Amino acid sequence: MQTFDEPLPDAPSPRNASYDINVRLDAAHKEIKGRETIRWRNISSATTSELQFHLYWNGWRNDDSTWLREDRLRAAAPLRPGDDARRPEQAGASDVTSIKVTPAGGTAVDLTPAVRYIAPDDGNTADRSVMAVTLPDAVGPGASLQVEIEWTGRIPFAADRTGWIADYFFFGQWFPKIGVLEDGGWNTHQFHAATEFYADFGVYDVEMTVPGGYTLGATGREMRRVDNPDGTTTHTYHADDVADFGWTTSPSFIEERRAFNHPKLPSVEMRLLLRPEHRGQETRQFAATAAALEHFGLWFGAYPYGNITIVDPAYQSNSDGMEYPMLFTGRANWLSPANVSTAPDSTIIHETGHQWWYGVVASNEFEHGWMDEGMTTWATGRVMEETRRPNMVAVRTFGTFIPYTLDVPLSREVDGNRMPAYRPDAESDATSTPTFRYWPRSANAVTYAKTSLWMHTLERHLGWPTMQKVMATYFDRWKFRHPRPQDFFDVVNSVSGQDMTWFFNQVVSGSETFDYAVQEMRNEPAGEGRTRAIIVAQRLGEATFPVDVVTTFADGQQVTERWEGKERRVIYTYDRPSPATRVEIDPGHVLVLDVNRTNNSRTSQSRGGEAARKWSLAWMVWLQELMLTAGFFG
Amino acid sequence: MVVASWIDGWRRVAQTLGMALGVHVLSFLLALPLAYAVRDQIATQLGSSLAAGRMADGVNNDWWSEFTAQATGLGTTFTPSIIGFASTLDTTSRVLDARYPPRALMWLLAAYLAIWTFLSGGIIDRYARQRPTRAHGFFSASGRLVFRLARLTAMAGVLYWFLFAYVHPWLFLDLFRDLTRGLGVERAAFAWRLGFYLVFGIVLLKVNLIFDYARIRLVVEDRRSALGALRASLRFVWHHPLHATALYALDGLGFLLLLAIWSVAAPGVYGTGLAMWLAFAAGQLYLFARLAIKLHFLASQTALFQSHLAHARYAAAPVPAWPESPAAELISR
Repeated sequence: MQTFDEPLPDAPSPRNASYDINVRLDAAHKEIKGRETIRWRNISSATTSELQFHLYWNGWRNDDSTWLREDRLRAAAPLRPGDDARRPEQAGASDVTSIKVTPAGGTAVDLTPAVRYIAPDDGNTADRSVMAVTLPDAVGPGASLQVEIEWTGRIPFAADRTGWIADYFFFGQWFPKIGVLEDGGWNTHQFHAATEFYADFGVYDVEMTVPGGYTLGATGREMRRVDNPDGTTTHTYHADDVADFGWTTSPSFIEERRAFNHPKLPSVEMRLLLRPEHRGQETRQFAATAAALEHFGLWFGAYPYGNITIVDPAYQSNSDGMEYPMLFTGRANWLSPANVSTAPDSTIIHETGHQWWYGVVASNEFEHGWMDEGMTTWATGRVMEETRRPNMVAVRTFGTFIPYTLDVPLSREVDGNRMPAYRPDAESDATSTPTFRYWPRSANAVTYAKTSLWMHTLERHLGWPTMQKVMATYFDRWKFRHPRPQDFFDVVNSVSGQDMTWFFNQVVSGSETFDYAVQEMRNEPAGEGRTRAIIVAQRLGEATFPVDVVTTFADGQQVTERWEGKERRVIYTYDRPSPATRVEIDPGHVLVLDVNRTNNSRTSQSRGGEAARKWSLAWMVWLQELMLTAGFFG
Repeated sequence: MVVASWIDGWRRVAQTLGMALGVHVLSFLLALPLAYAVRDQIATQLGSSLAAGRMADGVNNDWWSEFTAQATGLGTTFTPSIIGFASTLDTTSRVLDARYPPRALMWLLAAYLAIWTFLSGGIIDRYARQRPTRAHGFFSASGRLVFRLARLTAMAGVLYWFLFAYVHPWLFLDLFRDLTRGLGVERAAFAWRLGFYLVFGIVLLKVNLIFDYARIRLVVEDRRSALGALRASLRFVWHHPLHATALYALDGLGFLLLLAIWSVAAPGVYGTGLAMWLAFAAGQLYLFARLAIKLHFLASQTALFQSHLAHARYAAAPVPAWPESPAAELISR
């Protein structure tokens, strides 16, 4: 177990990377100018002779950045000219203009000329998302230093989860952020298209100067607001024990506040910054946030901060569904039917969930994205199920602007766990592959969907009470720290009292799929009025999981067999007074990862023809309508 | 004159309900074998599983997503947007968003258009004459006019292709993207899109209107030249813009009214047995009503055109048909 991220005696986190930041927004020119002081302490067992910093916005600095190279691979075909919303003059960039380092008790040394850019992941010399400076003197374990950085930032236009559009600004990954020094050295990955964060905890004091009349929301709590003679306003925010800092500002926000109160949980002030076009959705957005605060609080551990800001992002800002400590963006549509919960409800619950998995339990998302995105997706599905939010299939028409809700409920497996996204990419990458190395086109299927499906499987296998204890213990043990996959596995094994390594070896280290099927259900005369029922269960997938095989007989009796699921097939034979009428593998749907559920059952009274007739008649009406529509052109 | 033509159009459609029924049955028969093929795919995937029961009694999206993942060919078109009014919205939106029909159905739709081109000669001829022409007369007119109408359809096809291949992407990809890329308000972007729908829709309807009158003039005046019919149609629309447009709009209102009724009445998810057949019957009734409105466009426009002729109700003389009698056979010997 690593020890480098042990908390300070008088604080919940190590607080080894604290920031004082002063930043001014030039809204007209889409620029920021900033100055920051980082108080950094080496909490690793390693000695370092350099410092490394993330300059995320350089991910959009030029077309050859690693982020943009990977982003282009996400598209199934090369982009046509003009397809990409980014224009050269609207690219983002971070330029460090000065960096000075002051060792504890020493004097400041200007290291600006020594700035260099490194690409530890792919050697891409065009990528400037990681900056390094060599220190005059090595910094040993426990030693501290202070870094002063001045920089300018060109705010990207509606980039991936940060940037500006119209009068809306969202600042994520916006300041030069020091990497994480682990026992094995620096862990400072470049900015990749499918991964985001890893940072140490600290105390943030941030002064943001924006044009007067702009409403501002940020990580932490507002301490001061000063109107300046030049017509600007400076907002000062303070946050303890956070690993990142995000903020937003716009003159169009409508500000609303409500309190979250629960007898077993500390109160939380919820602040909503709503876009005017979504007026009327306030109650819905607060309710979703409160549901998440309540359920995650009771299940995993109380939300440790007293306030949270919900940002309703601008249309096309690409900043929807984004998490920062104590602040997140939701996702809403102008037309959001009440019985379609995917947006805004599910997104809000998901992003609130990140306060636990990412915000407090700060795993390394560059390498183990599943530990925050996957876990949060799983947890979101559970809240959606628990709160019984109606969630129906909606067909979006007319340029996707107009939703039409169907009376077709979405299940936790399909919507919450994203099974349809997982199926086609089930074998594309093993989860244990460092996330930034995932194939960009299928990365989300592995990070979000697969993890959510196997966590749900684990939940059903262990039972919810045990799973809840697992997650609560994991949260408690690893809050304000940086757990790794094995740390989670250890908690599962110790709390459940079961060695689940066999399971993790398959779902995390492997990329095989699960698929069990009923191969045959046969009834033969067995003499003396008895019937011999022969049941053949088959394993079609390469992965294995213990499953129940339940056979129901005509007299209503049931026989349950426990099959370890390792062999390719198993045959059960029963001599009974009644024939078998139904057989089902895994009737409790424990193995949520099973990619083909339909073949898990067989019944003697097949209704396949009946169902097929009904749906083919509906399809026929659709086809005739399509023909009539085509007839317009004849 | 417009209202009179509109009423006259309905009278002509009502007089030929059998013909309308025949066209409807034709689309039914064209769709039937494909529906069988889809039924087989669904039945095969469901097998004798328990999911079949759930899909028979209602709907199960888990199964549906599994089916979608495995479906090929026609099966890929079996999505939740076939349900009820979603189907109507989706097909209408498909046209305005220039989403091409599913590849698996392109040949069927092409065949349907070809058959419609063939039948439209007989249909317009029947509406123009306003007296029973019987099957023989109907198919005789259809056969006689088919190649001329086909040339007209080909010309329309070129124009529609130009609209969808060039004008639509320019409006909805280039212009729309340029105008909305900096917009942070969804409904403002939709307002732009609505404007483009309106512009593109009007162009589309205008082209449709012109080709409707070209077909009508080709049939009513027994024109040999498709190009000549098109020019004659343009002349007619040019000289009677208000009448032609107002009648088309009135017909369009009828279509919108039907859609409004269907949006409320369209069956959603139902069980098997009687409910299934009732839902299917409701679907067929809606489709028949929609076809009747489509035919009414032609009938009312024929009425309007004829009312502007020097000899109202004029239609070119039909091709003489020799009586089938032993005497005729003797003469031929």
